[in-house]
Amino acid sequence: MASINIAGREVELDEDGFMVNPDDWTEDCAKYFSSGEGISELTEDHWKVIHYLRDYYKQFQIAPMIRKLCKETGCSLKYIYELFPSGPAKGSCKLAGLPKPTGCV
Amino acid sequence: MPTYKDMVQPVRASEAEMRKIHIEPVPDDQKCEKAIQYLDEIRKKYRSFVMAMESCVKCGACAENCHTYLGTKDPRNIPTNRAELIRKIYKRYFTLEGRWFGKLVGAEDISLDVIEEWYSYFYQCSQCRRCAMACPFGIDTCEVTFIGRQILHWLGIVPKLHMGVGAAMEKVGNHTGLPKPGIVDTLEFLSEEIMDEFGVEVNFPVDKPNSDILYIPSSADYLLNPYTLMGAGMYFTYIGANWTIPSTVSEAGNFGLLFDQYFTQRHNVTRLLDAAQNLGIKKIVWGECGHGWRAAKMYIPSLADRPVNWPITHIHDEVAYHIRTNQLKLDPNKVDHPTTLHDPCNYTRACDLQENLRTVIKACVADFREMYPNKERTFCCGGGSAILFDDPEMYQRRIQLSAKKAELVRATGVGKDGNGYLCAPCSICKAQLYPMVEEHELGVEVKGLIDLVGKALVWK
Amino acid sequence: MSWFILQVLPYITVTVFTLGILYRLGRWAGARIVHNITLAPFPQNNSQVVGIFATEVIFFRSLFKSDFALWVGAWVMHIALFSVIGGHLMGIYTLGKQFVYIGMSEGLSEAMSSLLGTTFGIVVFFALLYLLFRRMSIQKVKEVTVTSDYLILILLLSIVTAGDIMRLVPSLSMEYAPAKEYVTYLVMLQPIPATAEVLHNVIFVIHLLLVQLLLIIFPFSKLMHILGMFAERWIINRPYTEPAPGLPNVDVPAARAAGLGLPAEGGVE
Repeated sequence: MASINIAGREVELDEDGFMVNPDDWTEDCAKYFSSGEGISELTEDHWKVIHYLRDYYKQFQIAPMIRKLCKETGCSLKYIYELFPSGPAKGSCKLAGLPKPTGCV
Repeated sequence: MPTYKDMVQPVRASEAEMRKIHIEPVPDDQKCEKAIQYLDEIRKKYRSFVMAMESCVKCGACAENCHTYLGTKDPRNIPTNRAELIRKIYKRYFTLEGRWFGKLVGAEDISLDVIEEWYSYFYQCSQCRRCAMACPFGIDTCEVTFIGRQILHWLGIVPKLHMGVGAAMEKVGNHTGLPKPGIVDTLEFLSEEIMDEFGVEVNFPVDKPNSDILYIPSSADYLLNPYTLMGAGMYFTYIGANWTIPSTVSEAGNFGLLFDQYFTQRHNVTRLLDAAQNLGIKKIVWGECGHGWRAAKMYIPSLADRPVNWPITHIHDEVAYHIRTNQLKLDPNKVDHPTTLHDPCNYTRACDLQENLRTVIKACVADFREMYPNKERTFCCGGGSAILFDDPEMYQRRIQLSAKKAELVRATGVGKDGNGYLCAPCSICKAQLYPMVEEHELGVEVKGLIDLVGKALVWK
Repeated sequence: MSWFILQVLPYITVTVFTLGILYRLGRWAGARIVHNITLAPFPQNNSQVVGIFATEVIFFRSLFKSDFALWVGAWVMHIALFSVIGGHLMGIYTLGKQFVYIGMSEGLSEAMSSLLGTTFGIVVFFALLYLLFRRMSIQKVKEVTVTSDYLILILLLSIVTAGDIMRLVPSLSMEYAPAKEYVTYLVMLQPIPATAEVLHNVIFVIHLLLVQLLLIIFPFSKLMHILGMFAERWIINRPYTEPAPGLPNVDVPAARAAGLGLPAEGGVE
């Protein structure tokens, strides 16, 4: 486990680079992670997906079904892969400060 | 990061994380001694392990029958050599010939390097048991890697993926960490989706008391496989079943089988039996999950801590039964894609499900093409036993491990026009194949089998 | 030396062989079949299990399917080896008249015994040579081999070579009668007379020495696969009774008649 400094705040990361404590998340974290995920600039659509994930997580303590994510944000799966090259589970969850999905995913 | 002396290794759980799954990691200076102690305890218990240690003649017939060896060409991935990683220690400490003749008979002293070898190679084995089919004696290398992984677990060496699953299971009752509100929300969403797409009213009862049937879906279905849950819901609605999904054990899989058969696997079984008892169930029906079905069908009787009063069947046993008795109206033309079937290893080598899978798929698909070798000689998807690691090194390995399957899928020709279906009725297979059909550019979409049942049902 | 090999060593060999096997079997029996780890094919009853065992033991069915090139060598070698061993037992006991039991004349039986013995002796030799060549030349097999694997093959080849020399070189041959006489002395716990022919045939003494070496290492080597095969299959090939399909309180025709799933306002495609 490692601790890094993001915009003046100490944030703990696990071995996969995911945030250990999702409550520590700020928009700066998303900006910080985006460079490591091969995203040059966070667009409005990026933020739409990130905020939806965070809201869902706050309510249900879990990431939504990918189909639901696509439907609610109006982004096709293909488009989500364009936004987040490592995919909805691993890419967008990381930027949104959600824990890494586990199990057969 | 995840390599050790040129061996690839999955990212491992930290010491704090190991404590979450009740293991106090053994310090390095005690690992060797402890490993021998655990090995000694376990070899006195499992005859399947002893036979694998003592009957091999090193004929090499297993080599070309292992997709891991075929994909990596690493000699330590030949099944008998993989077993040899532990056999050389077994010989050295527990046999006369090993003690007296050492290297001559292939015996070796234990060392931390050997333990690291175990971690690397036992987690490249997908425990598919194809080598046991090939072996003239039926030696089951899967039993060796099960036990190797068990010893590693007791030493405190477990991939982060498996640890996370074990911890999530204990916390909420499934591998993905879905709490009840998340389960209910997803199922309500799927009810709407079914109405939108199929125009059918399907409800997913959760924890409904006095249900007759307990349906155990794979928790990955909630995140990745919507049509698998939808198909099951549509099927149960179609036949008018009084069914429910338990929120306390919404998990067909059981990773305990794969790394800790003592606590983790039994814990899941106990949860299941509790749920069945509390909900007044008459029969348990299993969802699409390969290793989980093996764990349920073959291990619950020997792991249960009380009499098991509920017959347990697979959903495809039931669907096939309803098809054979002409109770389901299915229109195969509704699934208008050339389709092939990937036989999950655990269904066909361990659970005798191969004929029922075919009964179902042939009733649901107009253009069905067999993939060879099939049934009990099927090749693994390359992700078996949940070696679904996604750090860059291990991900590359996964592509190699799926190479054999990709070749076989291509040979069926279903993806020729880019609109094929690859039916893989197992959550691990799905999770492995979703990215792998892209990596190998197979021109197919991965589907579950109950997904196709849902699509093919004729409602009136 | 000959006296030691033929008079003393056999008793040591038999003791080590017997106790060794019992020790090894005890080790297997001490561990249990903990979980049901059956493997395809799925026999429904015990007679099907017997069928699986038989096709595996007699025809090496799994090997036939998984590695045909190996099957050819392995099957031929084992069949010929067992024929040779059977020929030793029957030929020496009946002095070559074993085929009288199936209706041959004594003379024909002796000729038959001699012909089959020599043929299988030569077949075993070449089959073993093939297996040794395979072990040394195919990369994947080389990679799974340790020194003892070669040594066992070489030991078997040496035994067979000594036997074949006695068969093929008239001046070094050994008839059934003196061999039977020798075995009788051993079994009756009587000393072998110094004039006995067996003590003066160097190849025979070497043959016996190597055979005894093989029997001594047998319980401590992979040669135990002969018994291990049965023990392993006893774990993985066994009948399993499936629970019956059919769901409780499900009446599909009634459910369809009631239109379950169909929304009140219609709209199903």
